[in-house]
Amino acid sequence: MMRRLYQLEGTVQCGEGRIRISAFVFIMAQLALLLVVLRQFQIESNALLRLSILAFAGFALHAFLPLRYRLPFFTLLSLSGIVLVFGFMQGAWLIGLGLILIAICHLPIPFAARVGVLIAVTTGLVAQRAGWLPAPWSAAVWPILGSMFMFRLIVYLYDLKHEKPPFSPWRVASYFFLLPNVCFPLFPVVDFKTFRRSHYDADAYATYQIGVGWMARGVLHLIMYRVVYYYLTLPATDVKGVGELAQYIIANFLLYLRVSGQFHFIIGLLCLFGFRLPETHHLYYLASSFTDFWRRINIYWKEFMQKVFYYPAFFRLKGWGTTQALIVSTIFVFMATWLLHAYQWFWLRGSFLLTLPDASFWAILAVLVVVNSLWEMRHGRQRRLKPSTPTAAAAAWLTMRTAATFAAIAVLWSLWTAESLAAWWGLMSEAARPFALPARLAPTVMVAVLAVGTTPAAVGKLAVRRGGFSWAGQSTTIAVVSLLVMALLGLPAVYTHLGTRAANFVLSLRTGQLNRVDQAMMERGYYEELVRIDRLNSQLWQLYMNRPAVGWIDVQASGLGQLTGDFVQEDLRPGFSAETRFGRITTNRWGMRDRDYERHPSAGTYRIAMLGASTVMGWGVGDDETFEALVESRLNESHPGRYERYEILNFAVPGYQPPQQRVALDKALQFEPNAVYFVATGREASRSIDYLAEVVRKRITIPYPFLVDVARKAGIEARTESTTAIRRLRPFRTEVLAWVYGEIVARCRERGILPVLVFLPQLRGGEWEVETPEILRTAQAAGFVVLDISDVYRGQNPNALRLAEWDEHPNAAGHRLIADRLLRAMRARAGELFADAGTRTTTR
Amino acid sequence: MDHIEQNVKDYIIKEFLPGEDPTELTEATPLVTGGILDSLATLKLVSFLEEHYGIAVQAHEADVEHLDTVRDIAALVRSKI
Repeated sequence: MMRRLYQLEGTVQCGEGRIRISAFVFIMAQLALLLVVLRQFQIESNALLRLSILAFAGFALHAFLPLRYRLPFFTLLSLSGIVLVFGFMQGAWLIGLGLILIAICHLPIPFAARVGVLIAVTTGLVAQRAGWLPAPWSAAVWPILGSMFMFRLIVYLYDLKHEKPPFSPWRVASYFFLLPNVCFPLFPVVDFKTFRRSHYDADAYATYQIGVGWMARGVLHLIMYRVVYYYLTLPATDVKGVGELAQYIIANFLLYLRVSGQFHFIIGLLCLFGFRLPETHHLYYLASSFTDFWRRINIYWKEFMQKVFYYPAFFRLKGWGTTQALIVSTIFVFMATWLLHAYQWFWLRGSFLLTLPDASFWAILAVLVVVNSLWEMRHGRQRRLKPSTPTAAAAAWLTMRTAATFAAIAVLWSLWTAESLAAWWGLMSEAARPFALPARLAPTVMVAVLAVGTTPAAVGKLAVRRGGFSWAGQSTTIAVVSLLVMALLGLPAVYTHLGTRAANFVLSLRTGQLNRVDQAMMERGYYEELVRIDRLNSQLWQLYMNRPAVGWIDVQASGLGQLTGDFVQEDLRPGFSAETRFGRITTNRWGMRDRDYERHPSAGTYRIAMLGASTVMGWGVGDDETFEALVESRLNESHPGRYERYEILNFAVPGYQPPQQRVALDKALQFEPNAVYFVATGREASRSIDYLAEVVRKRITIPYPFLVDVARKAGIEARTESTTAIRRLRPFRTEVLAWVYGEIVARCRERGILPVLVFLPQLRGGEWEVETPEILRTAQAAGFVVLDISDVYRGQNPNALRLAEWDEHPNAAGHRLIADRLLRAMRARAGELFADAGTRTTTR
Repeated sequence: MDHIEQNVKDYIIKEFLPGEDPTELTEATPLVTGGILDSLATLKLVSFLEEHYGIAVQAHEADVEHLDTVRDIAALVRSKI
């Protein structure tokens, strides 16, 4: 064995890692193009751009170092990357914790005792990750620490158990702290033996060029992912009929392009440092059977499971007979995969993932792979030593099998990513409707074809002259051309000449924003409750992962909110006060996030009751920083009407949807306002039916016959699955919103109160804007005086006005901007807004 | 070619590459990394080696390092007989 290992170490000398200047310049030119693409398309994050600059600069030095210094250099570069992304203190924690885990693997005690110590230490870390014990490092350290060690430690221990390789601290440290890992919590499970063996085991230039090819392919996948994410996905509630169902299923499956894109990029980057690692995905959309799919998608995972679970189980059980051993081992592998995904979820998110859709997905896939394996065991599968041209009949049969496998896996994938089995079944039942070709189905299929077409198998099999520079054929051409096209398309000087539609399309791909589905989820703020498996792969999840454990305020846990037991479900607790990192939050004796007011306004007072949700309440800003408080203060300074005093009473409650505002209005009317300002922030109609579906599902008594009637007409009841309920309510959404608005206006008008609707946009433009004309039209038709301040953020940098990356509520500067704009709108219509309130009647 | 290499090669041609030109399969042809030996084929090959040569192959030896070429496989067999 030792002889073998020395042979392995000896392969490091292969080619001496030398590269000619011409080849080096060629690689650097491609890396420069890659940097342009990363920058212009803002691929993944700014951290990735900074890391890539560090890596490419590091490569320039590394390529000319004597071979023996390259591994130490790569290790130090990886550690620098951690410090660059995390800062010194948090980076030091991450590295320190990692070194402790590695040191435990090499304690001078028996192997079983080392494993025991490791389990004990890991248990402590589990307690900290779960929040049961405090941890002195940032929560952002966990996903990366977990991603570096959760699987690689298992592989490393397995190899340590079976071999005694000469210990190389640089090799081990470089294996665990792999440079790109700091930007990618989802990381391929790199095998330690392969990592060790592949280091400069082939011509250096060939390895570097393969790396560039994979990085180009990865970036292309990530851009295609954006096309799918922004343009082709649709919410489950929008699926009506088999055509849209097909689009939903295919687009949902195509979202996996993000993972394959990331993995290609990661492995490509490692190639720049001499690690000629195998490809991570191989044309997985072209699998022609279930076993073939398992072999092609996330190959590193398959290899990991095969090495650590499948072979050991099979070898132990082979006395039972091959068939029995194969069945049990395969089922064991899929059970382990399921549990390890939950384990991975825990380190990345801090909670375990155990859901029925997840379990069902792995169970069904296990059965399919077992059946397929038994068939292959008996009948074999076709293998070739050389590529050959198939006959027309063979090609047709292969095409049919590939299409069928794609369809079956895509449907299974939709189950995996469903919120519940009932939600998935509700979705599938849409297949019973007549077929109608949705406009986006064709582009979805086109992207699927492109995704396949941009993964030439030749990339990983580059053959070039040893140490020399040559064009090296098809794969290099594809890499260079795709980099050039992407770099040029990303330049404003180019895409602005492509026509408005094309330019806007390219522009949209250049930013990593949330799509309408995720944006709606973030608005609704219920993201944390979701346990869809694709959250490991979503941009919204990524934002939430960066969120500190302690946010601005936890409405329920802090005591700010209280349950009401009626239609609104909750409101604000009177007399609450707490200091938060963003300022003080106080509620008055009436449960308003405001200063104290008397029930009845004094003479000469103009009183406004303001209804709204979190932004109006002042989510994330101090008591005196809300736009409501600022406007009140400025009105009292400027006196736009003939009143001595102006009061704005803040009745907003976080999370309130339009139907809840109908109840809030009743409370507001008790305070005898001159005007009611209803602040709408977008998606009013959708939110109205979302809420109606929610109360029906929760069996909450609905005090309004109109809403009861809508629920009846839509055919929803408590047991109706929520996605199906929303889908059925969708045709009534304008009707429901018109009812809410009409009710508010009618109640106000009959008391001589002026109803005003303020349209306050969200910080960032997006799909939510689609409903804006409908909201304004409905408000005007209902009789509201409409103050449209949708231009309030125009020309502003939304990132400077938001609370945090994971929270798009306006910050204090945002509230100042809203206050200024609202005051301008109010002054422009002062005559109408502050008319004599002589006709006002009271509710006393 | 030694008889172990020849036996292994014959078995691979017969079991996994029927109809292929035997001269295309050399001692250095990549079997695992070349996609010829997948997990099922590996298990079949290991069973053949164990039965034919009366050896015991360990689970951790069923990897690319020991089985990637006919030469590697023969070396593994030799180290055990």
